[in-house]
Amino acid sequence: MTSNWITTRAWLLMLPLLIVMIAIIGWPLIDTVRLSFTDAKLVGTQGSFVGLDNYVKILSGSNFQRSLITTFWFAILSVSAEMVIGVLAALLLNQRFYGRSALRALMILPWALPTVVNATLWRLIYNPEYGALNALLVQIGMLDSYRSWLGEPGTALASLILADCWKNFPLVALIALAALQAVPRDITAASMVDGAGVWSRFRFVTLPYLAGPLMVALVLRTIEAFKVFDIIWVMTRGGPANSTRTLSILVYQEAFSFQRAGSGASLALIVTLLVTVLAVAYAALIRKTAGAS
Amino acid sequence: MSALELIDIRKRYGSVETLKGIDLSLADGEFLVLLGSSGCGKSTLLNIIAGLAEATDGDVRIGDRSVTGVHPKDRDIAMVFQSYALYPNMSVARNIGFGLEMRKVAEAERIAAVEKTAKILQIENLLARKPSELSGGQRQRVAIGRALVRDPQIFLFDEPLSNLDAKLRMEMRTELKRLHQMLGTTIVYVTHDQIEAMTLATRIAVMRDGQIEQLAAPDEIYNRPATRYVASFVGSPPMNMLDCTFADGLAHIDGTLSNIALPAHLHEVAAAAHHITVGIRPESLTLADASNTKFGIDAKIEVVELTGPELVVTATIGKQRLTVSLPPRSQVSVGTTQRFAIDVSALHVFDRATDKRI
Repeated sequence: MTSNWITTRAWLLMLPLLIVMIAIIGWPLIDTVRLSFTDAKLVGTQGSFVGLDNYVKILSGSNFQRSLITTFWFAILSVSAEMVIGVLAALLLNQRFYGRSALRALMILPWALPTVVNATLWRLIYNPEYGALNALLVQIGMLDSYRSWLGEPGTALASLILADCWKNFPLVALIALAALQAVPRDITAASMVDGAGVWSRFRFVTLPYLAGPLMVALVLRTIEAFKVFDIIWVMTRGGPANSTRTLSILVYQEAFSFQRAGSGASLALIVTLLVTVLAVAYAALIRKTAGAS
Repeated sequence: MSALELIDIRKRYGSVETLKGIDLSLADGEFLVLLGSSGCGKSTLLNIIAGLAEATDGDVRIGDRSVTGVHPKDRDIAMVFQSYALYPNMSVARNIGFGLEMRKVAEAERIAAVEKTAKILQIENLLARKPSELSGGQRQRVAIGRALVRDPQIFLFDEPLSNLDAKLRMEMRTELKRLHQMLGTTIVYVTHDQIEAMTLATRIAVMRDGQIEQLAAPDEIYNRPATRYVASFVGSPPMNMLDCTFADGLAHIDGTLSNIALPAHLHEVAAAAHHITVGIRPESLTLADASNTKFGIDAKIEVVELTGPELVVTATIGKQRLTVSLPPRSQVSVGTTQRFAIDVSALHVFDRATDKRI
């Protein structure tokens, strides 16, 4: 068999998949790019070519800027909280204690739940009339009267972040726990004999083992957080007063609520570009971390 | 003053007792080897001395101070691990100095100490490297350096050479001996390798099933093993153990017509035991020459192996096996029956009921 035939056969075998991928990813992507240079509406008009008009309008508009800031806050706060809580949970679950296996299994539960279910649960918890959070805070005396956590611009985003953390810290914890189990016992013992206290041991001995895997978790979670849609859509639909309107919500509103397919497409492409930049930057960072250890 | 004292150390995991009352006392500058096969409790004992495991019962005293319940870092010990346990993200210099760093030793003093240690171990040129850039032998030196730099009361070694290849292991063994002679440190060293034990130790504790079978100098362990287990564990090839029945000053080898004349001073106890095991080191047997064929035992030669410095002959006597170490040019042929002479002064006799030396 010639190497030529091997190459040809490889392409032939991949052909069905390539056709499917071009049909469901390639074509829509190209069409979205085309759409983004038109003023097409969702129904009715095909739209006409408007050049960079859509992009200029979006980038100079206050809606986009505000959504960008909201998205950044959401991503930074939820991801950093998830990392810290996840690592702490992993450290705890790496100790020997009775019921550890059960607790490890239990921890996965929030992450295993569909986002819509999680969002609905938290909407109940935050409910201004009969929500558990209100009841708890009032009963322990931290709050005088029930509040509408999702109904006030000042607390809505923070409430969403808490719900998102609850759902996603288990992923970080799982990754960290797996990494912790790769720390050789001799190394931990050696650091104890060397006189390292709990903090030094974590900082100098354990953390280097966690760095690589945590970086992967960080990348995954940041990109996901940047694209966040479903949890917000179920809980607040971007409100109140657009205080939780992240970029993906904005894209949805633009394209489907206001039926402006053209500018919706350009907005979607801008978000895609931002996420791509993040992904590339992180990939470089991961390579650097992997090279260092 | 004793550097280390173990008083009735016991360790239980559930209903299994892995250490059954260990007592020993170590003088300053001694090199104690804990020798035994895997599962005998030697590593557990070392971890208890280090404070990495807690004894169920008993007391550990280091430098006349009880350290039971004291954290490893406050025990004035340093430990070298089988896996080296170097911190992969730190340079060699930082690895060695980490213990001092954690003890808040001033930087200038720390650097000086690291450099001095590196010089002793001849690894000055490696200080800037990461452990992943080192060979096995170099890693081992760094691990030893990390212990050395702290100048502790006791050094603990957990099978430190078992990850090295044979040639390197020999080199490091000599190196360790040199370090011990030069620095006069007190060392507790765990191994299952009897050659390491024989060459390094000032005293060997042969362990079995959570107990010390014999605690003595290497020479005594080899030449006067207290039990059948010690006798067969130490020495390579291992000691021949011939089951015999004693009568009329002779040990009659079971299942044969051959017998061995025992020295007179053993007769009384051997007679009391009746069923005995006679231990003969392979090197205590020689080919019986033609003029002296009357004394000795006849064995059928089955396998002949030339190891280089010696010719190892495996033979059978009755249903029992006999190994003999001969000079390399000895004339023996497989399948023939050969008479071997015994150096009677080097016989070891054990009571078969108790496995203890007579």
